[in-house]
Amino acid sequence: MKNKRFAIVLDTRRCIDCKACTVACKAENDVPLGSENYRNWVGEEELRGQYPKLGQSNTPCQCQHCGNPPCAHVCPTKATEVNPDGIVHVVAEKCIGCKYCMTACPYNARYYNEEIEAVDKCTFCTHRVYAGREPACVETCPTKVRVFGDLNDPNSEVSKLLTKYPSRVLKESQGTKPYLIYII
Amino acid sequence: MTFLKHRPNFKLWVGLLVIGVAIGIAGAGNVLLNGHSAVYNVTREIPWGILIATYVFLVVSSTGLCLVSSLGHVFGIAKFEFIGKRAILLAILTLLCGFGAIAMELNHPIRMGIYAIISPNFTSPIWWMGTLYGLYLMLLCAEFFFLMKGMHKGAFAMGMIGFIAAVAAHSNLGAVFGLLEARPFWHGSFLPIYFIISALVSGGAIVSMIVYFNHKLSGQEMPQQYEDFMETLGKLQALFLMILVFFVVWKIIPGIYGHPPEKYEATMAMLTGPLAFNFWFFEVLLGLAIPVVILLNKKTRTPYGVMMAGLSATVGIFFMRYDLVIAGQLVSMREGTADLVGGLLQYTPSVTEIAIVIGAISACLLLYTIAERLLPLESDH
Repeated sequence: MKNKRFAIVLDTRRCIDCKACTVACKAENDVPLGSENYRNWVGEEELRGQYPKLGQSNTPCQCQHCGNPPCAHVCPTKATEVNPDGIVHVVAEKCIGCKYCMTACPYNARYYNEEIEAVDKCTFCTHRVYAGREPACVETCPTKVRVFGDLNDPNSEVSKLLTKYPSRVLKESQGTKPYLIYII
Repeated sequence: MTFLKHRPNFKLWVGLLVIGVAIGIAGAGNVLLNGHSAVYNVTREIPWGILIATYVFLVVSSTGLCLVSSLGHVFGIAKFEFIGKRAILLAILTLLCGFGAIAMELNHPIRMGIYAIISPNFTSPIWWMGTLYGLYLMLLCAEFFFLMKGMHKGAFAMGMIGFIAAVAAHSNLGAVFGLLEARPFWHGSFLPIYFIISALVSGGAIVSMIVYFNHKLSGQEMPQQYEDFMETLGKLQALFLMILVFFVVWKIIPGIYGHPPEKYEATMAMLTGPLAFNFWFFEVLLGLAIPVVILLNKKTRTPYGVMMAGLSATVGIFFMRYDLVIAGQLVSMREGTADLVGGLLQYTPSVTEIAIVIGAISACLLLYTIAERLLPLESDH
């Protein structure tokens, strides 16, 4: 899609670590069974405080659909493509399985999918988004951690959230310019 | 000189290599039947395993052989001229077997052949790696052809271009790792430079073994010319090794000084962690210390001693490649990863992976042994 810049804005304080996003993603995108096969996950931050007063945060995570994606730079056959709307995806039949993208990605967002015989990753559910729907992980989240939208539209919910709240991205120093943006 | 006093058993040697190749074929068959994920121990977080390390080891050997042999027929050091044919032949074979090892690691080597041509990505170091090593292979073949035909001008020209291609291809191989900003242990300009010096050590070590065993196998006394060559090679090899020691030291110090994030954990994995035995025993003791001691001591710098130093260094260098490839991936890319041991991810090669490594190295040695029998590799110099 032209003139759009898709992103997900996340409010991790709402995350209850139910992993519904991971389940929804696996079902929606035919991710094979197996503990290594997933497109998104819920990261567990370190425990805070001392027993019995403890706290912990969770960081749902997936491909960051970077504005400067190292995976696309290193792919020898241009199997990793970036759409004009910023969605990074793999063209399965071009993937030679060298796994260079997997070593280049600082977020470990990629895995090798034996069923489609190519490296696989989050596509922001392109098939749904281009049909006017939300990604499966966004739709399913019971506490509305995730908001999906177009950052080029100042009236979109994601743009409004980022105007209202300060935010951060993961591993900013890598220079990858991620489009998964976390509200602080 | 006590070791190998008698003529080594040629049949036994060939037999062992055939068994090695058979093991490799069994491993490859296992992959083709059951798929990569079923028989390899590489993971989502450590996607490059011992096959990549073996590929690096073999192509470093190839580059090294090309560089060392170019001392003779390109740079005109007369003593080195007679090793040309053998060194270039083995450079071709190590390169081909290296390609074989990486082809087994790739999920789709055939797609590579197609899409590297119709959909090339010029920003990808792996694309350049394939292209430059392909070019380098053709140049080596041309150079070998000219050497065999005794066409010295052609051999010089191919040797010269081949030298440039070898340096370009091999430093680029360092860049395959060095351009990954996500992997602090690899990132930077260090690896392209380091790969060149370590190739010289590899090449020198293998040349010393070729020259020595060639005479032992054929049961000949070593002519004076070869004895002199081994003496010179030994001195040169000592220099290469000392430079390599310098590189190893300066790889480690910035890795631990000030505990740089991720780099520190990877460096410590080598110094005290899961790779410590590999590092201290194989890399430092066998790869560097023993060869340096043998080669710096005039008494032990005999043809036998130079060969033993070469053998020891070659074993050490294999582990250098392995440790380099694995250590760079041991630090998890994200917080909260389960199954960490001592804060690190884990990788142990599977039986199938090891079988393919044995197969690749055996195939290389077997092909060389056959070529040595069939081709007139003795130089007319």
